Amino acid sequence: MLKGIGVEKRFGGLTAVTSLDFEIFDGEIVGMIGPNGSGKTTLFNLISGLFKLDKGAIDFQGFRISGLPPYKVAKLGIGRTFQIVRPLMELSLLENVTTAVLYGSSGLHEVDVARDMAMNILKFTGLDSKFRNFPGELGIEGRKRLEIARALGSKPKILLLDEVFAGMNSKEIEGAIELTFRIRDEYRITVFMIEHVMKAIMTACDRVIALRHGVKIADGPPEQVANDPEVIRAYLGESYAKN
Amino acid sequence: MAHGNDRSGFYRVKLILVGIIFVLGVYPWLAPPVYFISFAFNVLTYITLATSWNIIGGYTGYLSFGHVAFFGIGAYATAVLGARLDLGPALVILASLPAGVVSALVAVVIGYPCLRLRGPYFAVITLCFAFVTELTVRNLDFLGGADGLWIKGLAMPIETSRSIFFELMLVLTVVCLSSAHWIETSRFGAGLRAIREDEEVAQTMAINTPKLKIMAFAVSAFFPGVAGGIYACYLTYIHPDIVFDVNISILIVLMALFGGGASWVGPLVGATLLTFVNEGLSTFVKAEFARIIYGCLFIIVIIFMPNGIVEFLKNLIVKRRLRTKFVKNKSSQLLS
Ligand SMILES: Nc1ncnc2c1ncn2[C@@H]1O[C@H](COP(=O)(O)OP(=O)(O)OP(=O)(O)O)[C@@H](O)[C@H]1O
Ligand SMILES: [Mg+2]
Repeated sequence: MLKGIGVEKRFGGLTAVTSLDFEIFDGEIVGMIGPNGSGKTTLFNLISGLFKLDKGAIDFQGFRISGLPPYKVAKLGIGRTFQIVRPLMELSLLENVTTAVLYGSSGLHEVDVARDMAMNILKFTGLDSKFRNFPGELGIEGRKRLEIARALGSKPKILLLDEVFAGMNSKEIEGAIELTFRIRDEYRITVFMIEHVMKAIMTACDRVIALRHGVKIADGPPEQVANDPEVIRAYLGESYAKN
Repeated sequence: MAHGNDRSGFYRVKLILVGIIFVLGVYPWLAPPVYFISFAFNVLTYITLATSWNIIGGYTGYLSFGHVAFFGIGAYATAVLGARLDLGPALVILASLPAGVVSALVAVVIGYPCLRLRGPYFAVITLCFAFVTELTVRNLDFLGGADGLWIKGLAMPIETSRSIFFELMLVLTVVCLSSAHWIETSRFGAGLRAIREDEEVAQTMAINTPKLKIMAFAVSAFFPGVAGGIYACYLTYIHPDIVFDVNISILIVLMALFGGGASWVGPLVGATLLTFVNEGLSTFVKAEFARIIYGCLFIIVIIFMPNGIVEFLKNLIVKRRLRTKFVKNKSSQLLS
Protein backbone atom coordinates (compact mmCIF):
# COMPACT_ATOMS: atom_id res chain seq x y z
CA MET A 1 0.00 0.00 0.00
CA LEU A 2 2.97 2.31 0.65
CA LYS A 3 5.82 2.12 -1.80
CA GLY A 4 9.08 4.00 -2.22
CA ILE A 5 11.12 3.91 -5.41
CA GLY A 6 14.72 5.16 -5.37
CA VAL A 7 14.00 7.60 -2.56
CA GLU A 8 16.89 9.96 -1.90
CA LYS A 9 17.44 12.88 0.47
CA ARG A 10 20.52 15.04 0.88
CA PHE A 11 21.33 17.66 3.50
CA GLY A 12 24.15 19.67 1.99
CA GLY A 13 26.98 17.20 1.55
CA LEU A 14 25.33 14.49 3.63
CA THR A 15 23.11 11.94 1.95
CA ALA A 16 20.70 10.91 4.70
CA VAL A 17 18.72 8.46 2.54
CA THR A 18 20.26 6.84 -0.54
CA SER A 19 18.21 5.39 -3.43
CA LEU A 20 15.96 3.48 -1.10
CA ASP A 21 13.28 1.04 -2.32
CA PHE A 22 10.71 -0.21 0.15
CA GLU A 23 7.17 -1.46 0.25
CA ILE A 24 4.68 -1.87 3.08
CA PHE A 25 1.69 -4.15 2.50
CA ASP A 26 -1.82 -3.78 3.82
CA GLY A 27 -2.27 -5.20 7.34
CA GLU A 28 1.43 -5.62 8.11
CA ILE A 29 3.37 -4.47 11.13
CA VAL A 30 6.77 -3.55 9.73
CA GLY A 31 9.71 -2.47 11.85
CA MET A 32 12.62 -0.26 10.81
CA ILE A 33 15.93 -0.47 12.62
CA GLY A 34 19.31 1.13 12.18
CA PRO A 35 21.98 2.89 14.21
CA ASN A 36 21.57 6.53 15.21
CA GLY A 37 21.64 8.87 12.26
CA SER A 38 20.96 6.16 9.69
CA GLY A 39 18.08 8.11 8.16
CA LYS A 40 15.00 6.49 9.68
CA THR A 41 13.28 9.65 10.86
CA THR A 42 14.28 11.35 7.64
CA LEU A 43 12.41 8.65 5.72
CA PHE A 44 9.28 9.28 7.81
CA ASN A 45 9.58 12.99 7.16
CA LEU A 46 9.83 12.26 3.44
CA ILE A 47 6.75 10.03 3.52
CA SER A 48 4.66 12.52 5.48
CA GLY A 49 5.68 15.39 3.22
CA LEU A 50 7.63 17.45 5.76
CA PHE A 51 10.78 17.02 3.64
CA LYS A 52 10.95 17.19 -0.16
CA LEU A 53 12.61 14.28 -1.97
CA ASP A 54 15.76 14.97 -3.98
CA LYS A 55 15.20 11.90 -6.12
CA GLY A 56 12.75 9.03 -6.46
CA ALA A 57 9.06 8.82 -5.63
CA ILE A 58 6.66 7.58 -2.98
CA ASP A 59 3.25 6.10 -3.80
CA PHE A 60 0.38 5.41 -1.45
CA GLN A 61 -2.32 3.02 -2.67
CA GLY A 62 -1.14 3.59 -6.21
CA PHE A 63 -1.28 7.36 -5.82
CA ARG A 64 1.82 9.57 -6.08
CA ILE A 65 2.22 11.35 -2.74
CA SER A 66 5.76 12.67 -3.00
CA GLY A 67 5.52 16.38 -3.70
CA LEU A 68 2.22 16.81 -1.87
CA PRO A 69 2.06 19.11 1.17
CA PRO A 70 1.87 17.29 4.54
CA TYR A 71 -1.81 18.03 5.15
CA LYS A 72 -2.77 16.34 1.88
CA VAL A 73 -0.66 13.31 2.67
CA ALA A 74 -2.31 13.11 6.08
CA LYS A 75 -5.75 13.48 4.53
CA LEU A 76 -5.07 10.49 2.29
CA GLY A 77 -4.63 8.36 5.40
CA ILE A 78 -1.02 8.48 6.55
CA GLY A 79 -0.72 9.21 10.26
CA ARG A 80 2.47 9.65 12.22
CA THR A 81 3.97 10.27 15.63
CA PHE A 82 7.11 12.25 16.40
CA GLN A 83 10.23 10.78 17.96
CA ILE A 84 10.55 13.85 20.15
CA VAL A 85 6.90 14.14 21.13
CA ARG A 86 5.13 17.25 19.96
CA PRO A 87 1.80 17.54 21.77
CA LEU A 88 -0.26 20.71 21.43
CA MET A 89 0.82 21.93 24.86
CA GLU A 90 -1.92 24.41 25.68
CA LEU A 91 -4.75 22.06 24.74
CA SER A 92 -6.10 19.34 27.00
CA LEU A 93 -5.66 15.71 25.97
CA LEU A 94 -9.27 15.63 24.84
CA GLU A 95 -8.82 18.79 22.75
CA ASN A 96 -5.63 17.41 21.21
CA VAL A 97 -7.40 14.31 19.94
CA THR A 98 -10.70 16.06 19.13
CA THR A 99 -8.88 18.42 16.77
CA ALA A 100 -7.34 15.45 14.98
CA VAL A 101 -10.78 13.81 14.64
CA LEU A 102 -12.35 17.03 13.32
CA TYR A 103 -9.87 17.25 10.46
CA GLY A 104 -9.26 13.54 9.89
CA SER A 105 -10.73 10.98 7.54
CA SER A 106 -13.73 10.09 9.68
CA GLY A 107 -15.60 13.13 8.35
CA LEU A 108 -16.92 14.11 11.78
CA HIS A 109 -17.16 17.89 11.58
CA GLU A 110 -19.43 18.38 14.58
CA VAL A 111 -17.37 19.21 17.65
CA ASP A 112 -19.61 17.27 20.05
CA VAL A 113 -19.58 14.13 17.93
CA ALA A 114 -15.84 14.40 17.38
CA ARG A 115 -15.35 14.76 21.11
CA ASP A 116 -17.15 11.45 21.77
CA MET A 117 -14.98 9.78 19.18
CA ALA A 118 -11.86 11.30 20.75
CA MET A 119 -12.96 10.04 24.14
CA ASN A 120 -13.17 6.51 22.73
CA ILE A 121 -9.66 6.84 21.34
CA LEU A 122 -8.36 8.09 24.68
CA LYS A 123 -9.95 5.06 26.30
CA PHE A 124 -8.35 2.82 23.67
CA THR A 125 -4.93 4.27 24.43
CA GLY A 126 -5.50 4.16 28.18
CA LEU A 127 -5.63 7.92 28.73
CA ASP A 128 -9.34 8.40 29.32
CA SER A 129 -9.01 9.13 33.03
CA LYS A 130 -6.72 12.06 32.22
CA PHE A 131 -8.78 13.61 29.44
CA ARG A 132 -8.97 17.00 31.15
CA ASN A 133 -5.22 17.09 31.84
CA PHE A 134 -2.68 18.93 29.75
CA PRO A 135 0.24 17.20 28.02
CA GLY A 136 2.70 18.88 30.38
CA GLU A 137 1.17 16.93 33.25
CA LEU A 138 1.95 13.56 31.67
CA GLY A 139 5.07 11.45 32.03
CA ILE A 140 7.02 10.33 28.99
CA GLU A 141 4.93 7.17 28.54
CA GLY A 142 1.71 9.16 28.71
CA ARG A 143 3.00 11.63 26.15
CA LYS A 144 3.93 8.83 23.77
CA ARG A 145 0.46 7.39 24.18
CA LEU A 146 -0.93 10.84 23.43
CA GLU A 147 1.09 10.98 20.20
CA ILE A 148 -0.51 7.71 19.20
CA ALA A 149 -3.98 8.84 20.27
CA ARG A 150 -3.70 12.01 18.23
CA ALA A 151 -2.47 10.10 15.20
CA LEU A 152 -5.35 7.63 15.57
CA GLY A 153 -7.75 10.56 15.79
CA SER A 154 -7.13 11.31 12.12
CA LYS A 155 -8.28 7.76 11.32
CA PRO A 156 -5.26 6.84 9.20
CA LYS A 157 -4.90 3.75 7.03
CA ILE A 158 -1.24 3.47 7.89
CA LEU A 159 0.48 4.70 11.02
CA LEU A 160 4.15 5.67 11.15
CA LEU A 161 5.45 5.27 14.72
CA ASP A 162 8.81 6.88 15.44
CA GLU A 163 10.48 5.25 18.47
CA VAL A 164 7.38 5.08 20.60
CA PHE A 165 9.04 2.63 22.97
CA ALA A 166 12.12 4.72 23.70
CA GLY A 167 12.31 5.84 27.30
CA MET A 168 9.79 3.32 28.60
CA ASN A 169 10.46 0.66 31.21
CA SER A 170 9.92 -2.99 30.30
CA LYS A 171 6.41 -3.13 31.73
CA GLU A 172 5.39 -0.03 29.78
CA ILE A 173 6.94 -1.56 26.67
CA GLU A 174 4.79 -4.64 27.03
CA GLY A 175 1.72 -2.45 27.27
CA ALA A 176 2.78 -0.52 24.20
CA ILE A 177 3.41 -3.72 22.21
CA GLU A 178 -0.07 -4.88 23.07
CA LEU A 179 -1.39 -1.49 21.95
CA THR A 180 0.41 -1.88 18.61
CA PHE A 181 -1.32 -5.19 17.98
CA ARG A 182 -4.66 -3.74 18.92
CA ILE A 183 -4.12 -0.81 16.53
CA ARG A 184 -3.77 -3.27 13.70
CA ASP A 185 -6.40 -5.77 14.76
CA GLU A 186 -9.17 -3.52 16.10
CA TYR A 187 -8.65 -0.39 13.99
CA ARG A 188 -7.33 -2.33 10.95
CA ILE A 189 -4.43 0.07 10.57
CA THR A 190 -1.15 -0.94 8.96
CA VAL A 191 1.83 -0.09 11.16
CA PHE A 192 5.31 1.02 10.09
CA MET A 193 7.47 1.57 13.16
CA ILE A 194 10.99 2.76 13.88
CA GLU A 195 12.37 1.01 16.91
CA HIS A 196 15.59 0.49 18.82
CA VAL A 197 14.09 -1.77 21.47
CA MET A 198 14.85 -5.21 20.00
CA LYS A 199 12.33 -6.97 22.19
CA ALA A 200 9.57 -4.87 20.69
CA ILE A 201 10.82 -5.49 17.17
CA MET A 202 11.10 -9.23 17.64
CA THR A 203 7.65 -9.71 19.17
CA ALA A 204 5.58 -7.17 17.30
CA CYS A 205 6.84 -7.11 13.73
CA ASP A 206 5.97 -9.31 10.77
CA ARG A 207 8.92 -7.91 8.87
CA VAL A 208 11.91 -5.71 9.55
CA ILE A 209 13.82 -3.27 7.36
CA ALA A 210 17.35 -2.31 8.42
CA LEU A 211 19.09 0.90 7.38
CA ARG A 212 22.69 1.95 7.65
CA HIS A 213 23.95 5.36 6.51
CA GLY A 214 20.73 5.77 4.58
CA VAL A 215 21.11 2.51 2.68
CA LYS A 216 18.85 -0.50 3.11
CA ILE A 217 20.98 -3.43 4.26
CA ALA A 218 18.32 -6.00 5.14
CA ASP A 219 14.60 -6.64 4.69
CA GLY A 220 12.87 -9.77 5.97
CA PRO A 221 11.43 -11.63 8.98
CA PRO A 222 12.72 -10.33 12.35
CA GLU A 223 14.87 -13.40 13.21
CA GLN A 224 16.56 -13.32 9.83
CA VAL A 225 17.33 -9.60 9.99
CA ALA A 226 18.53 -9.80 13.59
CA ASN A 227 21.04 -12.50 12.63
CA ASP A 228 22.13 -10.86 9.39
CA PRO A 229 25.92 -10.32 9.60
CA GLU A 230 25.59 -6.97 7.84
CA VAL A 231 23.10 -5.78 10.44
CA ILE A 232 25.24 -7.02 13.33
CA ARG A 233 28.21 -5.24 11.84
CA ALA A 234 26.20 -2.03 11.46
CA TYR A 235 25.22 -2.11 15.10
CA LEU A 236 28.24 -3.53 16.81
CA GLY A 237 31.17 -2.66 14.54
CA GLU A 238 33.51 -4.71 12.40
CA SER A 239 35.39 -6.63 15.07
CA TYR A 240 32.28 -7.98 16.69
CA ALA A 241 30.89 -9.40 13.43
CA LYS A 242 34.06 -11.37 12.71
CA ASN A 243 33.91 -13.30 15.99
CA MET B 1 -24.03 17.27 38.33
CA ALA B 2 -21.04 19.33 37.34
CA HIS B 3 -22.60 19.42 33.90
CA GLY B 4 -25.84 20.82 35.26
CA ASN B 5 -23.93 23.54 37.07
CA ASP B 6 -22.03 24.40 33.90
CA ARG B 7 -25.29 24.70 32.03
CA SER B 8 -27.07 26.94 34.49
CA GLY B 9 -23.89 29.01 34.82
CA PHE B 10 -23.85 29.31 31.06
CA TYR B 11 -27.43 30.57 30.93
CA ARG B 12 -26.74 33.01 33.73
CA VAL B 13 -23.79 34.43 31.80
CA LYS B 14 -25.93 34.67 28.69
CA LEU B 15 -28.67 36.48 30.60
CA ILE B 16 -26.19 38.94 32.04
CA LEU B 17 -24.74 39.61 28.59
CA VAL B 18 -28.16 40.23 27.07
CA GLY B 19 -28.88 42.56 29.98
CA ILE B 20 -25.67 44.51 29.40
CA ILE B 21 -26.36 44.82 25.68
CA PHE B 22 -29.87 46.05 26.43
CA VAL B 23 -28.67 48.66 28.92
CA LEU B 24 -26.02 49.84 26.45
CA GLY B 25 -28.61 50.03 23.69
CA VAL B 26 -30.92 52.19 25.77
CA TYR B 27 -28.16 54.35 27.23
CA PRO B 28 -27.78 57.06 24.54
CA TRP B 29 -31.52 57.77 24.57
CA LEU B 30 -31.40 58.71 28.24
CA ALA B 31 -29.89 62.01 27.08
CA PRO B 32 -26.41 61.72 28.58
CA PRO B 33 -23.81 64.36 27.68
CA VAL B 34 -22.60 63.93 24.11
CA TYR B 35 -19.10 63.41 25.42
CA PHE B 36 -20.15 60.19 27.12
CA ILE B 37 -21.76 58.85 23.97
CA SER B 38 -18.59 59.56 22.01
CA PHE B 39 -16.48 57.92 24.66
CA ALA B 40 -18.69 54.82 24.70
CA PHE B 41 -18.49 54.77 20.90
CA ASN B 42 -14.68 54.71 21.18
CA VAL B 43 -14.81 51.85 23.67
CA LEU B 44 -16.98 49.81 21.32
CA THR B 45 -14.71 50.57 18.37
CA TYR B 46 -11.67 49.36 20.27
CA ILE B 47 -13.48 46.24 21.48
CA THR B 48 -14.32 45.41 17.87
CA LEU B 49 -10.77 46.04 16.69
CA ALA B 50 -9.13 44.05 19.50
CA THR B 51 -11.59 41.18 19.18
CA SER B 52 -11.07 40.84 15.45
CA TRP B 53 -7.30 41.18 15.82
CA ASN B 54 -7.45 38.32 18.29
CA ILE B 55 -8.76 35.92 15.64
CA ILE B 56 -5.44 36.02 13.80
CA GLY B 57 -3.23 37.18 16.69
CA GLY B 58 -4.60 35.26 19.67
CA TYR B 59 -6.27 32.15 18.27
CA THR B 60 -3.85 31.57 15.40
CA GLY B 61 -0.69 33.04 16.92
CA TYR B 62 0.18 35.40 14.06
CA LEU B 63 0.82 38.80 15.60
CA SER B 64 -0.33 41.39 13.09
CA PHE B 65 1.06 44.86 13.81
CA GLY B 66 -0.63 46.44 10.84
CA HIS B 67 -4.25 45.98 11.65
CA VAL B 68 -4.98 49.69 11.47
CA ALA B 69 -4.56 49.34 7.72
CA PHE B 70 -7.80 47.38 7.51
CA PHE B 71 -9.55 50.03 9.58
CA GLY B 72 -8.24 52.74 7.27
CA ILE B 73 -9.05 50.81 4.12
CA GLY B 74 -12.61 50.36 5.37
CA ALA B 75 -12.91 54.07 6.10
CA TYR B 76 -11.59 55.10 2.71
CA ALA B 77 -13.56 52.46 0.80
CA THR B 78 -16.76 53.72 2.44
CA ALA B 79 -15.96 57.34 1.63
CA VAL B 80 -15.06 56.56 -1.96
CA LEU B 81 -18.09 54.33 -2.52
CA GLY B 82 -20.30 57.06 -1.08
CA ALA B 83 -18.81 59.75 -3.30
CA ARG B 84 -18.66 57.67 -6.49
CA LEU B 85 -22.20 56.37 -6.24
CA ASP B 86 -23.38 59.71 -4.88
CA LEU B 87 -25.09 58.03 -1.94
CA GLY B 88 -27.12 59.93 0.61
CA PRO B 89 -25.87 60.09 4.23
CA ALA B 90 -27.90 57.06 5.33
CA LEU B 91 -26.76 54.91 2.41
CA VAL B 92 -23.09 55.83 2.91
CA ILE B 93 -23.30 54.10 6.27
CA LEU B 94 -24.45 50.94 4.54
CA ALA B 95 -21.41 51.20 2.27
CA SER B 96 -19.29 50.20 5.27
CA LEU B 97 -20.39 46.59 4.68
CA PRO B 98 -18.89 46.27 1.20
CA ALA B 99 -15.96 48.26 2.63
CA GLY B 100 -15.45 45.45 5.12
CA VAL B 101 -15.41 43.02 2.22
CA VAL B 102 -12.74 45.16 0.54
CA SER B 103 -10.61 44.94 3.69
CA ALA B 104 -11.08 41.17 3.79
CA LEU B 105 -10.05 40.87 0.13
CA VAL B 106 -6.94 42.94 0.74
CA ALA B 107 -6.17 40.60 3.66
CA VAL B 108 -6.46 37.59 1.36
CA VAL B 109 -4.10 39.14 -1.18
CA ILE B 110 -1.41 40.22 1.28
CA GLY B 111 -1.98 37.23 3.55
CA TYR B 112 -1.07 34.84 0.78
CA PRO B 113 2.64 35.77 0.81
CA CYS B 114 2.86 37.19 4.35
CA LEU B 115 1.32 34.27 6.22
CA ARG B 116 4.24 32.11 5.12
CA LEU B 117 6.36 34.11 7.51
CA ARG B 118 6.24 33.37 11.19
CA GLY B 119 6.86 35.17 14.45
CA PRO B 120 8.73 38.49 14.29
CA TYR B 121 8.90 38.38 10.49
CA PHE B 122 5.14 38.38 10.22
CA ALA B 123 4.87 41.20 12.77
CA VAL B 124 7.35 43.34 10.86
CA ILE B 125 5.89 42.72 7.42
CA THR B 126 2.37 43.59 8.56
CA LEU B 127 3.74 46.78 10.10
CA CYS B 128 5.36 47.60 6.75
CA PHE B 129 2.13 46.80 4.95
CA ALA B 130 0.33 49.39 7.08
CA PHE B 131 2.97 52.02 6.30
CA VAL B 132 2.85 51.30 2.60
CA THR B 133 -0.93 51.50 2.56
CA GLU B 134 -0.87 54.81 4.40
CA LEU B 135 1.73 56.29 2.08
CA THR B 136 -0.20 55.13 -0.96
CA VAL B 137 -3.41 56.73 0.25
CA ARG B 138 -1.58 59.94 1.16
CA ASN B 139 -0.24 60.18 -2.36
CA LEU B 140 -3.34 59.36 -4.37
CA ASP B 141 -5.25 62.46 -5.41
CA PHE B 142 -8.57 60.73 -5.91
CA LEU B 143 -8.41 59.70 -2.24
CA GLY B 144 -7.94 63.29 -1.18
CA GLY B 145 -4.19 62.87 -0.68
CA ALA B 146 -2.90 64.79 2.31
CA ASP B 147 -6.12 66.85 2.45
CA GLY B 148 -8.33 64.00 3.54
CA LEU B 149 -11.90 63.30 2.45
CA TRP B 150 -15.29 64.57 3.55
CA ILE B 151 -18.32 62.33 3.97
CA LYS B 152 -21.90 63.51 4.03
CA GLY B 153 -23.14 63.68 7.60
CA LEU B 154 -26.64 62.98 8.85
CA ALA B 155 -28.67 66.18 8.91
CA MET B 156 -29.80 66.06 12.53
CA PRO B 157 -28.68 67.25 15.96
CA ILE B 158 -25.34 65.87 17.05
CA GLU B 159 -26.87 64.02 20.02
CA THR B 160 -29.13 62.06 17.72
CA SER B 161 -26.56 61.28 15.07
CA ARG B 162 -23.96 60.22 17.64
CA SER B 163 -26.55 58.01 19.29
CA ILE B 164 -27.33 56.38 15.96
CA PHE B 165 -23.65 55.70 15.28
CA PHE B 166 -23.28 54.36 18.77
CA GLU B 167 -26.11 51.90 18.13
CA LEU B 168 -24.54 50.83 14.83
CA MET B 169 -21.18 50.24 16.45
CA LEU B 170 -22.91 48.33 19.24
CA VAL B 171 -24.48 46.00 16.68
CA LEU B 172 -21.12 45.50 14.98
CA THR B 173 -19.42 44.82 18.32
CA VAL B 174 -22.02 42.24 19.29
CA VAL B 175 -21.77 40.51 15.91
CA CYS B 176 -17.98 40.57 16.12
CA LEU B 177 -17.91 39.13 19.64
CA SER B 178 -20.44 36.45 18.69
CA SER B 179 -18.35 35.50 15.68
CA ALA B 180 -15.27 35.26 17.86
CA HIS B 181 -17.15 33.10 20.32
CA TRP B 182 -18.48 30.91 17.54
CA ILE B 183 -15.00 30.47 16.06
CA GLU B 184 -13.64 29.52 19.46
CA THR B 185 -16.07 26.65 19.86
CA SER B 186 -16.02 25.48 16.24
CA ARG B 187 -13.97 23.14 14.11
CA PHE B 188 -12.42 26.21 12.48
CA GLY B 189 -11.21 27.48 15.85
CA ALA B 190 -9.81 24.09 16.79
CA GLY B 191 -7.76 24.16 13.59
CA LEU B 192 -6.50 27.67 14.34
CA ARG B 193 -5.42 26.66 17.84
CA ALA B 194 -3.53 23.70 16.43
CA ILE B 195 -1.72 26.09 14.07
CA ARG B 196 -0.83 28.36 16.98
CA GLU B 197 0.59 25.46 18.98
CA ASP B 198 2.62 23.77 16.24
CA GLU B 199 1.96 24.42 12.60
CA GLU B 200 3.88 21.40 11.32
CA VAL B 201 2.03 19.04 13.63
CA ALA B 202 -1.23 20.69 12.54
CA GLN B 203 -0.33 19.77 8.97
CA THR B 204 0.26 16.15 9.89
CA MET B 205 -3.22 16.25 11.46
CA ALA B 206 -4.57 16.88 7.94
CA ILE B 207 -5.26 20.55 8.66
CA ASN B 208 -4.98 22.70 5.54
CA THR B 209 -3.02 25.35 7.37
CA PRO B 210 -2.46 27.84 4.51
CA LYS B 211 -6.19 27.96 3.81
CA LEU B 212 -7.19 28.28 7.46
CA LYS B 213 -4.70 31.06 8.10
CA ILE B 214 -5.95 33.09 5.15
CA MET B 215 -9.56 32.60 6.23
CA ALA B 216 -8.71 33.72 9.76
CA PHE B 217 -6.84 36.76 8.44
CA ALA B 218 -9.74 37.70 6.18
CA VAL B 219 -12.30 37.47 9.00
CA SER B 220 -10.02 39.41 11.27
CA ALA B 221 -9.75 42.16 8.60
CA PHE B 222 -13.47 42.28 7.78
CA PHE B 223 -14.71 43.71 11.08
CA PRO B 224 -12.08 46.47 11.28
CA GLY B 225 -13.07 47.37 7.72
CA VAL B 226 -16.72 47.79 8.66
CA ALA B 227 -15.72 49.60 11.85
CA GLY B 228 -13.58 51.97 9.76
CA GLY B 229 -16.59 52.67 7.54
CA ILE B 230 -18.86 53.50 10.47
CA TYR B 231 -16.10 55.57 12.03
CA ALA B 232 -15.67 57.57 8.81
CA CYS B 233 -19.39 58.39 8.69
CA TYR B 234 -19.32 59.26 12.37
CA LEU B 235 -16.44 61.73 11.94
CA THR B 236 -17.67 62.93 8.48
CA TYR B 237 -14.02 63.60 7.69
CA ILE B 238 -11.11 61.21 7.30
CA HIS B 239 -7.42 61.77 6.95
CA PRO B 240 -4.49 59.32 6.76
CA ASP B 241 -3.20 60.69 10.08
CA ILE B 242 -6.44 59.66 11.76
CA VAL B 243 -7.48 56.34 10.26
CA PHE B 244 -3.98 54.98 9.53
CA ASP B 245 -2.48 56.07 12.86
CA VAL B 246 0.14 53.47 13.76
CA ASN B 247 -0.70 53.99 17.44
CA ILE B 248 -4.04 52.32 16.79
CA SER B 249 -2.25 49.22 15.49
CA ILE B 250 -0.15 49.02 18.60
CA LEU B 251 -3.04 49.80 20.92
CA ILE B 252 -5.10 46.95 19.45
CA VAL B 253 -2.32 44.46 20.11
CA LEU B 254 -1.79 45.77 23.64
CA MET B 255 -5.48 45.58 24.44
CA ALA B 256 -5.89 42.02 23.24
CA LEU B 257 -2.76 40.79 25.02
CA PHE B 258 -3.58 42.82 28.13
CA GLY B 259 -6.90 41.03 28.46
CA GLY B 260 -5.55 37.71 27.19
CA GLY B 261 -5.59 36.21 23.71
CA ALA B 262 -6.99 32.78 24.47
CA SER B 263 -10.68 33.69 24.50
CA TRP B 264 -13.11 36.37 23.32
CA VAL B 265 -13.37 37.70 26.89
CA GLY B 266 -9.73 38.85 26.89
CA PRO B 267 -9.89 41.52 24.17
CA LEU B 268 -13.29 42.63 25.47
CA VAL B 269 -11.94 43.25 28.94
CA GLY B 270 -8.57 44.52 27.73
CA ALA B 271 -10.04 47.03 25.28
CA THR B 272 -12.58 48.31 27.79
CA LEU B 273 -10.07 48.75 30.60
CA LEU B 274 -7.35 50.32 28.49
CA THR B 275 -9.71 52.75 26.79
CA PHE B 276 -10.79 53.92 30.22
CA VAL B 277 -7.20 54.14 31.41
CA ASN B 278 -6.22 56.01 28.28
CA GLU B 279 -9.06 58.49 28.66
CA GLY B 280 -8.47 58.96 32.37
CA LEU B 281 -4.76 59.54 31.88
CA SER B 282 -5.20 61.98 29.03
CA THR B 283 -7.63 64.12 31.02
CA PHE B 284 -5.64 64.20 34.24
CA VAL B 285 -1.98 64.18 33.18
CA LYS B 286 0.11 65.44 30.30
CA ALA B 287 0.09 63.27 27.17
CA GLU B 288 3.76 62.26 27.49
CA PHE B 289 3.25 61.17 31.09
CA ALA B 290 0.16 59.27 30.06
CA ARG B 291 2.23 57.32 27.55
CA ILE B 292 4.83 56.45 30.17
CA ILE B 293 2.30 55.29 32.75
CA TYR B 294 0.49 53.37 30.06
CA GLY B 295 3.66 51.61 28.95
CA CYS B 296 4.64 50.70 32.51
CA LEU B 297 1.20 49.31 33.20
CA PHE B 298 1.47 47.14 30.15
CA ILE B 299 4.91 45.85 31.08
CA ILE B 300 3.69 44.94 34.56
CA VAL B 301 0.77 42.99 33.17
CA ILE B 302 2.88 41.14 30.61
CA ILE B 303 5.48 40.16 33.21
CA PHE B 304 3.12 39.14 35.99
CA MET B 305 0.18 37.98 33.93
CA PRO B 306 1.64 36.57 30.70
CA ASN B 307 -1.69 35.05 29.73
CA GLY B 308 -3.57 38.29 30.28
CA ILE B 309 -5.57 39.74 33.08
CA VAL B 310 -8.64 37.53 32.51
CA GLU B 311 -6.69 34.28 32.83
CA PHE B 312 -4.89 35.69 35.87
CA LEU B 313 -8.11 36.47 37.70
CA LYS B 314 -9.61 33.12 36.72
CA ASN B 315 -6.62 31.26 38.19
CA LEU B 316 -6.84 33.35 41.33
CA ILE B 317 -10.47 32.31 41.81
CA VAL B 318 -9.77 28.65 41.08
CA LYS B 319 -6.87 28.66 43.53
CA ARG B 320 -8.98 30.18 46.26
CA ARG B 321 -11.70 27.61 45.65
CA LEU B 322 -9.19 24.78 45.81
CA ARG B 323 -7.79 26.15 49.03
CA THR B 324 -11.18 26.31 50.73
CA LYS B 325 -11.90 22.79 49.52
CA PHE B 326 -8.57 21.62 50.92
CA VAL B 327 -9.24 23.24 54.27
CA LYS B 328 -12.66 21.61 54.35
CA ASN B 329 -11.19 18.19 53.63
CA LYS B 330 -8.58 18.71 56.30
CA SER B 331 -11.15 19.67 58.90
CA SER B 332 -13.42 16.76 58.03
CA GLN B 333 -10.44 14.43 58.40
CA LEU B 334 -9.70 15.88 61.80
CA LEU B 335 -13.28 15.36 62.85
CA SER B 336 -13.49 11.72 61.79
N1 LIG C 1 16.69 18.82 9.04
C1 LIG C 1 17.94 18.33 8.91
N2 LIG C 1 18.94 19.10 8.45
C2 LIG C 1 20.18 18.62 8.30
N3 LIG C 1 20.53 17.36 8.58
C3 LIG C 1 19.60 16.53 9.04
C4 LIG C 1 18.25 16.96 9.24
N4 LIG C 1 17.53 15.92 9.70
C5 LIG C 1 18.38 14.89 9.80
N5 LIG C 1 19.62 15.24 9.40
C6 LIG C 1 20.79 14.35 9.35
O1 LIG C 1 20.43 13.22 8.60
C7 LIG C 1 20.97 12.05 9.18
C8 LIG C 1 19.88 11.06 9.46
O2 LIG C 1 19.09 11.55 10.52
P1 LIG C 1 17.78 10.83 11.06
O3 LIG C 1 17.15 11.74 12.07
O4 LIG C 1 16.96 10.43 9.92
O5 LIG C 1 18.37 9.56 11.79
P2 LIG C 1 17.63 8.42 12.60
O6 LIG C 1 17.89 7.16 11.88
O7 LIG C 1 16.22 8.77 12.84
O8 LIG C 1 18.44 8.44 13.94
P3 LIG C 1 17.96 8.21 15.46
O9 LIG C 1 17.95 6.76 15.68
O10 LIG C 1 19.01 8.91 16.26
O11 LIG C 1 16.63 8.84 15.60
C9 LIG C 1 21.73 12.48 10.42
O12 LIG C 1 23.08 12.56 10.11
C10 LIG C 1 21.17 13.84 10.73
O13 LIG C 1 22.14 14.65 11.32
MG1 LIG D 1 15.08 9.24 14.46
